[in-house]
Amino acid sequence: MADVTRILELTGLTRRFGGVTALDDLSFTVASGRVTGFLGPNGAGKTTAMRAIFGLTELDHGHVRWNGGAVGPRQRRRFGYMPEERGLYPGMIVGEQLQYLGRLHGMAPGDAADAASRWLERLDLADRASSKVSSLSHGNQQRVQLAAALMHEPELLVLDEPMAGLDPTGIEAFGAVLSEQAHAGRCVLFSSHQLDLVEELCEAVVIIDHGRVVASGGVEELEVGGSPRLSVRVEGDRDGRWARDLPGIQVSEVKGGQVRLVLPPDADSDAVLDAARRAGRVLEFTFERRRLSEVFREAVR
Amino acid sequence: MKEFLYAIVAAAVLLLVLRRRRSGRQPPGRMLVRRLASPLGGLHLAGDTGLVALREVRERLRGRMFKVITLILLGVVAAAIIIPTLHSSKRPVVKIGVAGVLTATQDRAVTAALAQNDLRGQFILQPDLASARTALRMGQVTMVIDHGRALMVETPVSSPSTTTASAAIAIAAALGSESAFRAAGLTATQASTVAHAEPLPILSQAPRQKGASRGTAVIGLIFIFILLTQYLTWTLVGVMEEKASRVVEVLLATVRPVQLLAGKVLGIGLVALLQAGLVVAFALILADAVGSDILHGTAPIVVVASLVWLVLAYAFYSWVFAAAGSMAERQDQAQSLSLPLSVPIIVGYVLALVNAGPGATSLLVKIFAYLPPTAPFAMPLLVAKGEVAWWGFCIAALVSVVSTAVVARFAGTVYQRAVLQTGRRLRVREVLSRQ
Repeated sequence: MADVTRILELTGLTRRFGGVTALDDLSFTVASGRVTGFLGPNGAGKTTAMRAIFGLTELDHGHVRWNGGAVGPRQRRRFGYMPEERGLYPGMIVGEQLQYLGRLHGMAPGDAADAASRWLERLDLADRASSKVSSLSHGNQQRVQLAAALMHEPELLVLDEPMAGLDPTGIEAFGAVLSEQAHAGRCVLFSSHQLDLVEELCEAVVIIDHGRVVASGGVEELEVGGSPRLSVRVEGDRDGRWARDLPGIQVSEVKGGQVRLVLPPDADSDAVLDAARRAGRVLEFTFERRRLSEVFREAVR
Repeated sequence: MKEFLYAIVAAAVLLLVLRRRRSGRQPPGRMLVRRLASPLGGLHLAGDTGLVALREVRERLRGRMFKVITLILLGVVAAAIIIPTLHSSKRPVVKIGVAGVLTATQDRAVTAALAQNDLRGQFILQPDLASARTALRMGQVTMVIDHGRALMVETPVSSPSTTTASAAIAIAAALGSESAFRAAGLTATQASTVAHAEPLPILSQAPRQKGASRGTAVIGLIFIFILLTQYLTWTLVGVMEEKASRVVEVLLATVRPVQLLAGKVLGIGLVALLQAGLVVAFALILADAVGSDILHGTAPIVVVASLVWLVLAYAFYSWVFAAAGSMAERQDQAQSLSLPLSVPIIVGYVLALVNAGPGATSLLVKIFAYLPPTAPFAMPLLVAKGEVAWWGFCIAALVSVVSTAVVARFAGTVYQRAVLQTGRRLRVREVLSRQ
């Protein structure tokens, strides 16, 4: 893995649209060499923040810095962007479109043609190089969009919901590419509502709500923190009713007979075990980390 | 000149065929994506604006619309040039019986005399005078030249009230002169020179009515109107589609709005210029080949003036239509925006066409010739009618260039603020008041 040397800093970003505050003094950093997930409920301000990195929205306050310096057109030329609403010319030929976008990022004509060939091959689109974008399936158009963002080997890769609507094969291919990019020393920030995917792919996350950061840090660090978790399975119990009346204990999730409980810091786990035994034979009783979905829910509650 | 033009066209066609063959010979699969060639051949426009412009040129030239419109324009121009020529070649034919020998000098003199009366002669040799008289009586010939000494007609001729009378008087005069020159002892060459003496030009103080130039101007007006509306629609819809497909977001992440807008306007403008150049070159070659008088006299100046104003009109309006396109996301929104913007174009066009006749040009057209929105139609008409001095033309062009700079600045602001605003149609006031 490459050294962590590049940093994207968003400091005090504020953006209001009339009476709606999309970004409210938003500040966080993204380091290179790892994939950072950008999470938040709908309308939290993720897309506005990502657009702000590329100067696509005017800010009321705050600034974006890259490696300690201001971000201008020259820096943005070294960034790669995949917007949520896919931006491609529907009537243009795939290979030509990639070259065009690569050249707009300063690539030489020959390098752009080589990179387009390479990425189309890598993303299993080799046979569609001469097709029009509009003739491709939704998933393949997303692959072309990812190739467009990667053409010029960007130092920073910002992807807004890149895997929404992809099939499992596509998700796997995208995930592999993002990990590969991060391990090559690039800064990768992507937003998603697929929390299991983020948990699997990301080493760090930033969670925002109402335009503010509500949680951020390494995934492991966030999962270890917070209240202790217990996973309990009782023979014959499907709905975890036995746990509902335990004082101070919150039922986080009941799935297939497995009950996940959130315990207060001073909770007595023996009392929980006794309650489970009263309900039936205890098949499982283990302490667990928080899942990212739980971190998310707690952060945006 | 004609050979030179044909050589240019032949060379261009050959080059095109060779390029196609060469590109067809590329080994398949060597590289998935073939390096993009410049649609302008060796010409490479520098910078992001150039890249955007070249993409526009490539995509537009490849589109079916460009090919269809070009073919229609070529067809219209061909019809406008060839039909009047066909009409002029249908001059009435006078059948002339010839008894005895008609010398080459006499033949030329008779042909020239008929041509001056907009007639053509068909000589029918008769074995002898008696046969010629019979043919005249039977109506097989209109008149008979008797050994170059006399002209016989069926009924007496007094004044040139009919075609036959006009022809007879003209032929009699021509043969009489030719006979007199011979009697005076002139050689055949001397006689021919005297017979074909060019009359002195008659100069009038009032401006001449320029029929051919006006015809060219009308074609030019139609040409400007078609091209202008086509390319402005392309600009409007092109900007709207980039906004609707959100591709503008990807582009503006690396290119400044003014570069994107300028590239689009420049690219479509180059295609317009290319198409206009193609049509004009075709018109010049065709007119020369069929001997049309549509490009004679001052008509070439009208052609140049029309081209200049096509460029100035596109430069002026393209920014406005691009700004309008940035405020729309759907076809119906774009149409409702383009309608009020098209009003000055339609007004200028119709007014110029109405005034294209031989009568006096209205004061309104003379005023409109100096207003940038209507000048592209009014000014070429004034040039065709010889009603504007060179400095007047230059002032109008200068006013248009300065106005274009102001409009471009205004349109750039609207575009920058509107093109990333999605979800609903914006209003100009709303865009301009945005902080």
